[in-house]
Amino acid sequence: MRARCIRAVARKEMIHLLRDPRSLALAFLIPLLLVLLFGYALSLDVEELAAAVVDRDCSPESRDLIRRIDASRAFAVRAELETDTALSRAIDAGRVSVGWVVPAGWGAALRAGRPAPLQVLIDGSDPNTGSQARAFAAALIERLNAERRGGRHAGVPPAVEARIRIWFNENLESRTFIVPGILAVILMIAGALLASTAIAREAESGTLETLRMLPLTAGELTAGKALPYVAVAWIDVLAAAVLAWGVFGIAPRAGIAGFLLASFLYILVAVGTGLLLSALAGSQLVATQLAILATYLPSLLLSDFVFPRQNMPSALQALSALVPATYFIDLLNGFYLRGIPASGLWPSFLVLFGMAVALAAGCVWAVRREGF
Amino acid sequence: MAEAVAVRGLSKRFGRFTAVDGIDLTVQEGEIFGFLGPNGAGKSTTIRMLCGILKPSGGCGRVAGLDLFRDAERIKRRIGYLSQQFSLYDDLTPYENLRLFLGIYRVAPSLWAERIEEAVASVGLRPDLHRIVRGLPPGARQRLALACALLHRPRLLFLDEPTSGVDPLARRAFWEFIGGLTRQGISAFVSTHHLEEADRCGRVALMHEGRIVACGPPRRLVAEVLPERPEAGLEDAFAILLRGRAA
Amino acid sequence: MNGRCVRELVRKEFLQLFRDRRNRPLLIVAPLLQLILFGYVVTTDVRETRLAVVDESRTPLSRSLIEAFAASPAFRLQASAADARSLEEDLLQRRVDLGIHIASDFAVRLTARRPAEVQLLFDGSLSHLTSQRAAAAQAVIEDWNRRLLSLGSEPRSPAGGGIEGRIRTWYNPNLESRPYFVPGIVAFLVMLLSLLFTSLAIVREKEAGTMEQLIVTPLRPVEFLLGKTIPFFLVAQGQMVLVIGFARAWFEVPLAGSAVFLFAASGLFLVCTLGVGLWISTVSRTQQQAVLTTFLFLVPFFLLSGFVFPIERMPLLVRAAARLNPLAHFLVIVRGVFLKGVGPTVLWPSCLALAGIGAIVFGAALLKFRKRPG
Repeated sequence: MRARCIRAVARKEMIHLLRDPRSLALAFLIPLLLVLLFGYALSLDVEELAAAVVDRDCSPESRDLIRRIDASRAFAVRAELETDTALSRAIDAGRVSVGWVVPAGWGAALRAGRPAPLQVLIDGSDPNTGSQARAFAAALIERLNAERRGGRHAGVPPAVEARIRIWFNENLESRTFIVPGILAVILMIAGALLASTAIAREAESGTLETLRMLPLTAGELTAGKALPYVAVAWIDVLAAAVLAWGVFGIAPRAGIAGFLLASFLYILVAVGTGLLLSALAGSQLVATQLAILATYLPSLLLSDFVFPRQNMPSALQALSALVPATYFIDLLNGFYLRGIPASGLWPSFLVLFGMAVALAAGCVWAVRREGF
Repeated sequence: MAEAVAVRGLSKRFGRFTAVDGIDLTVQEGEIFGFLGPNGAGKSTTIRMLCGILKPSGGCGRVAGLDLFRDAERIKRRIGYLSQQFSLYDDLTPYENLRLFLGIYRVAPSLWAERIEEAVASVGLRPDLHRIVRGLPPGARQRLALACALLHRPRLLFLDEPTSGVDPLARRAFWEFIGGLTRQGISAFVSTHHLEEADRCGRVALMHEGRIVACGPPRRLVAEVLPERPEAGLEDAFAILLRGRAA
Repeated sequence: MNGRCVRELVRKEFLQLFRDRRNRPLLIVAPLLQLILFGYVVTTDVRETRLAVVDESRTPLSRSLIEAFAASPAFRLQASAADARSLEEDLLQRRVDLGIHIASDFAVRLTARRPAEVQLLFDGSLSHLTSQRAAAAQAVIEDWNRRLLSLGSEPRSPAGGGIEGRIRTWYNPNLESRPYFVPGIVAFLVMLLSLLFTSLAIVREKEAGTMEQLIVTPLRPVEFLLGKTIPFFLVAQGQMVLVIGFARAWFEVPLAGSAVFLFAASGLFLVCTLGVGLWISTVSRTQQQAVLTTFLFLVPFFLLSGFVFPIERMPLLVRAAARLNPLAHFLVIVRGVFLKGVGPTVLWPSCLALAGIGAIVFGAALLKFRKRPG
């Protein structure tokens, strides 16, 4: 390994990268877009869900109920409708997701201490929104009842009370984890997808033949090819981390050094995957398609990122154990949410390190196969 | 229609750069017209203008009896074009390629069988008619490209460096075929780098830096430039003409 | 425009598409594989929440509460922790999603008719799941409470009064993920393939030099673009049938509405995606660039479509951007037809939006294509 050779190959590769504005845009624009979108715009949490009410009672109690619904964090009353038909049309068209129907005589029944049924209609098509809405509606009713009982003091029955505490993400905001977690996807795009063309391009244009004539070893070529992509991905990590911290106040709770080390290992894995595919595929088109299929989709779907592993069938769980992002996500979760120092996360570090070494060896082998 | 091409003062500017600088050209019916010049002289730009692909910046003229400015689209129906790389679909068979171009040139379907038969017979493609083009030798691919360019019976054929990458025997057969076409009254406008091919042309024009430097029958051009050397060829004459321009 | 000319172009495109052996798996196997992958993975159901319990009470009462959790499909008893410390360690190491701590005085307080507390410790990383898991845990406890009360000496009086919530869930009464996500996957896959194939189709002709040959023929831009898009339109509609059929057979996702309307609407949607694909191919010189540019479009199309992240919860500006996204409109239609069984009377605004976007995108591609000087 001679540093001068590696530097020469790296410089050449960097020039290719800089001269292709579209690839560069892909490397920097998509990460920024993703961090901003996930920070600002995309959320799975239910807040201010559009609700409509049909109030057939118009008693002080029903008016109070509607005020309480609107004031809650979960719902926002967008419309007061006259009939059930209007309500069902609004839900059909997706204008509102929840409908509250107060029947006539509801307030009177409540005052008289009789059961006062209240109808809640929920659009369940999106199961996530639907089940959260259902839980919030039940909780709201429970709270109102508790207040009424508290007022009249009718002897609390002996029962178990759940005391719920949430750890790691106390305010239950999806961005707290999705913003750092998206790094696992970004780095696969920036590292693997970009690098996937690096060797295939030279094979297609015939310049690999020229390189073969030079006194260049497989290791030197691989290292030189990898360096610029590692650099680009590294900039992505820093940019995303600074953005997450500066704009959204999301920062690692422990172990900045561990976070940087984990990112570095993961970048090596990503770039290594890209180069290996590039050397094996032979054509840029095939290499890019493979890179999308083998890196982007698994990092998003199989990595325990948004979709929990334990929900998958066992074959996919086994597959997810082979996905590097699974381990990176575990590390990110440790640093950003659980605040664990790097020493407490050594198994995932070890796996990523092993993958990086194996991929480096694989790349050198594949490049040597090309005649170096 | 006595003249297949007749243009005056034809020019094309790209921004500040003048690619073609007011050239005059005429090609007679049934003539093989050779179009020569170094790379970057403006040959391709000229051909593209004559084919109606590129709008000229100035000048006037007629191609295949149609006005270059007003009838650019209709010119395309009357001419045939054969590019350098024989750009056909190499994952289709010759038959499928021919069919596609019959459709594109709007030939009536009742004539298709006859035209395909005619094309296959004239360029000798029968054994390869249903094989994938990718596997055919360059010579056969060139003949197929020629057959496609002639399907709609154009009166004027543009050939852009048609013999690059073809072996000498196939090249010879190609020129004999073109000669046969001109005897039927079809004109051929050929750009080429092979100066020995220029000798097969009725007249040649030498283009350099956007202008026509010399034009006429090849023998006469040589005699005019090098009157004292009867054994000299076009190459010698052009070397002197181009050097003279540079000086 | 000449019909015969377009027909021959379409014929040629089909020949090329099916002759290339590498295309066949991409056309049929790839969408089905992705459908299976997405179908299994993309779910927000609360299932298999891993649970660890510290039972300091060790009484029949406490064991009955733990059994109630173990019996619920939402929870899976992973381990019994020895003490509160090891429970916290389990949570920290992501071995469990929920820890339950039952104090030693649990049974004593209950028999003394005093309320007993149970501590539930959740890993909040995936916030949307955590709120559902918390609700599911509450439901298990309430259920257990009711059983305890009806068994106990003091049944709750039926005339207790108070608000009775009669919550009904429409369209997807069991709140399952698949009926919601699988139709969305169908839409996404059709978009992915139609974008990729069209954007590559013209660039391939540029790279092969056949474009140059076509330009000197009397072929009109409209004819060329139609010749390029009709085959992919038909292929994509075919894939639509294939993927929907497979989704219904494999994942047993019901189709509540009219299939005919769905295909008509997917036609409008395809006009949009084919238009975008054509536009990409006019601004790309190489296949590589075309693939990368397609990707640049796909990511925001996917994220701002409501596929996973609901559009109504996005900020105003982003919501406005999402309105330009054909996938967002098509998802409304696909989910409307699949889940709600609604038709054009409800979904016409989305159809209109698709038609508008399609006309603009296709027109822009045509203009861009015409302006190219050969």
